[in-house]
Amino acid sequence: MLGLGADRLRADMNRLLAFLFHQGVLDEQFLQLQQLQDESSPNFVSEVVNIYFHESEKLLRNLRGLVLEREFSDYKRMGIHLNQLIGSSSSIGAKRLTNICVAFRAASDQNNPTACLRALELLEHDYCYLKNKLHEFFQIEQQRVMAAGVRYPIQN
Amino acid sequence: MAALQKLPQLSACMAANEPSSTCKPELVVSDQFPAGLRVLVVDDDVTCLRILEQMLRRCTYHVTTCSQATVALNLLREKRGCFDVVLSDVHMPDMDGFKLLEHVGLEMDLPVIMMSADGRTSAVMRGIRHGACDYLIKPIREEELKNIWQHVVRKRWNENKEHEHSGSLDDNDRHKRGNDDAEYASSVYEEAEGLLRAQKKRRDAKEEDDGDLDSDDPATAKKPRVVWSVELHQQFVSAVSQLGIDKAVPKRILELMNVPGLTRENVASHLQKFRLYLKRLSGVAQQQGGMSSSYCGSVEQNGKPGSLGRFDIQALAASGHIPPQTLAALHAELLGRPTGNLVLPGMDQPLLQASLQGPKRISVDHGVAYGHPLVRCPANISKHFPQAIITADDVRSGLGAWPSNGPGTVGPSSNLGGLVAQSGNILMGMLHHQQQQPRPHHQPQQQQKQVTQPDPSRSINVQPSCLVVPSQSSASFQAGKNPVSINRNCSFNRSSSMDYSLLSSQSNNSSFGIAQIMDGDPKTTSVLNGYPGPGSVSPSMSSCSINAENAANRQLQNSTVASNAARQLPVLAPNVCDIQGSYNTKSGHVLDQGPLRNLGFVGKGTSIPSRFAVDEPDSLMSNLNCGRIYGENNENKVKQEPSMEFIESAKVGIPILQKFFHQMIS
Repeated sequence: MLGLGADRLRADMNRLLAFLFHQGVLDEQFLQLQQLQDESSPNFVSEVVNIYFHESEKLLRNLRGLVLEREFSDYKRMGIHLNQLIGSSSSIGAKRLTNICVAFRAASDQNNPTACLRALELLEHDYCYLKNKLHEFFQIEQQRVMAAGVRYPIQN
Repeated sequence: MAALQKLPQLSACMAANEPSSTCKPELVVSDQFPAGLRVLVVDDDVTCLRILEQMLRRCTYHVTTCSQATVALNLLREKRGCFDVVLSDVHMPDMDGFKLLEHVGLEMDLPVIMMSADGRTSAVMRGIRHGACDYLIKPIREEELKNIWQHVVRKRWNENKEHEHSGSLDDNDRHKRGNDDAEYASSVYEEAEGLLRAQKKRRDAKEEDDGDLDSDDPATAKKPRVVWSVELHQQFVSAVSQLGIDKAVPKRILELMNVPGLTRENVASHLQKFRLYLKRLSGVAQQQGGMSSSYCGSVEQNGKPGSLGRFDIQALAASGHIPPQTLAALHAELLGRPTGNLVLPGMDQPLLQASLQGPKRISVDHGVAYGHPLVRCPANISKHFPQAIITADDVRSGLGAWPSNGPGTVGPSSNLGGLVAQSGNILMGMLHHQQQQPRPHHQPQQQQKQVTQPDPSRSINVQPSCLVVPSQSSASFQAGKNPVSINRNCSFNRSSSMDYSLLSSQSNNSSFGIAQIMDGDPKTTSVLNGYPGPGSVSPSMSSCSINAENAANRQLQNSTVASNAARQLPVLAPNVCDIQGSYNTKSGHVLDQGPLRNLGFVGKGTSIPSRFAVDEPDSLMSNLNCGRIYGENNENKVKQEPSMEFIESAKVGIPILQKFFHQMIS
């Protein structure tokens, strides 16, 4: 009864994750992150994801600046930013974002401004989606922890 | 260098190839290694940095992170010797990763592993050309990080070896420096040079301890390379076997060999190669799945060993593969500690004795023993096989399909030929030997063995003290190296302590393997593997021993195994054989999904349902459901109607078979 709330919330979390997996938004690297979470780092996943969001937004802003430049020519810088975005996105398991970045990088290598712009828009859109979903995920997680902790402080 | 000194385990093992007490034959390091490996991670991407840090911590490494290359370089310079390996991203804003790589190589001789999200071959190639030890592509997984310690060891070891063989250090340095300055690879050479120097210093220190007269003085010209002739190698091997493979220290070997002009260094490097060779052999032999040498042990018991060497030489000469003395000595060595009577040319005795004492490695034992049953006559080897087969005809037919090729027929020449080919000449020699001496007594035993062994590819290993487990009766079995052990009432049992580590390593490859546990060896660990899901089984199965205490353990294992019976686990329960005992087939062998569950031997005091254990009442199995074949048969049944059972469940056959024969003999 009392614990049901926590269980239901956990089920919600899993469902959300499964949904994201199914959509291809996340991949198993995210699971690896979850496995890395332990007693010594109990909030590891949310910590890393928050770092990721913070850093990625910086990169996205830079990219937007570069793409929308009147003289759209600094592909090299774009490539550097993209590399980093690819690295961090793939490291947290954001598969779809990674793929878009890879395509973006290819367009940039080809010095194709139109394709770059389109890729940027797609990237930003997907990024917002991922961010919302992960926020939701962590919210449920928080609720679950509270539900499990409050009722049964001893149990877990 | 401080860095080198900080890794005592590494340097100890690498500098002198001194054996240590760990069970790993190859890399002699302490049990803690590679825990505590000191890693420096450099990446401007904070996300990845955090993830890597966590992963490395989980690998029990000691992690320092840095998001700027310049800071990292300063850190490395200030704290020399505080790090073992560097992980660096390729693309960093303040400094290119490759530049960092070069600096580190030049100044600190540390292995550097590059990382990048860019997995294109060109990029990777660039990394390698710059001298990176490895190039990881993001996203990096924890498994990849677990292995980075290899780079540390490999680098040092290679440097060590290079130093041994390279002669004058100065010459090399000068040469390399002169040629490679302008190239990308210069950093690598300089790195190598630095390491060589460091290695040399370490070796100096080590050798001083040994009181080695060999000069490390770079001023001495290139040392003349020692040619390891057959005689010299023979002496070497005999010295090693005298000392025992574990205790074989270059210095003592040198003393024993008493060859003027031979240096400890020569011996040390030769010893290193020898060990690698043994290890390779063990891997090969396991594939073949030969019988353990304990088999020979049985032979020896009954009669005087005779001159195995003679046959060995014959056989070997026939094949021309390995010099007989070398091989014989090799076997002696592998088989364990011979009692010091090892005489190369007539290797038989020590070999047999060694087998009794529990060889450390199964490997060659397998190979050696493999052919035993096959050869009966002293004459022509090829002739023997058919003969041997014939003798076991009835048994074989009883066995049905399982051994190898065909239902009940072991194609003599093809099989045996294959066998011989696979197992090598050693076997022939052994077989000869066996045939000669204790022929009347052992024949039936040999028969059994032979029957069980017909197909090398199936790798049914029959070992006197092992459980006999058919490696493959049908597709369901996996050949693997199934060391099968049968406990005989003789001392066989004692002999071969299987090299469980080897077995386990096999099993880790998710191939079928059967762990044999020879009795009496407390440190043997059973390896049960299973098969795609070995995890569930093996851990529980490890460290079996004869004691009844482990019975519960085994029971647990067995139940686990049984639960996995749906798949086929060629589980070989720890064979806690009873030396006095008779045949104990302690094989947890899941033959089929049918009624034949695991043939498992459980130690005394355990009764495991559906576990087949054939044993004689007086032996351990008092509490066991002895002879629970097919889950139901009792021991008596087994004893009395083994053949029937064989036919019914061909898979279970061998253990029963063995017992059957045993009874026939007795």
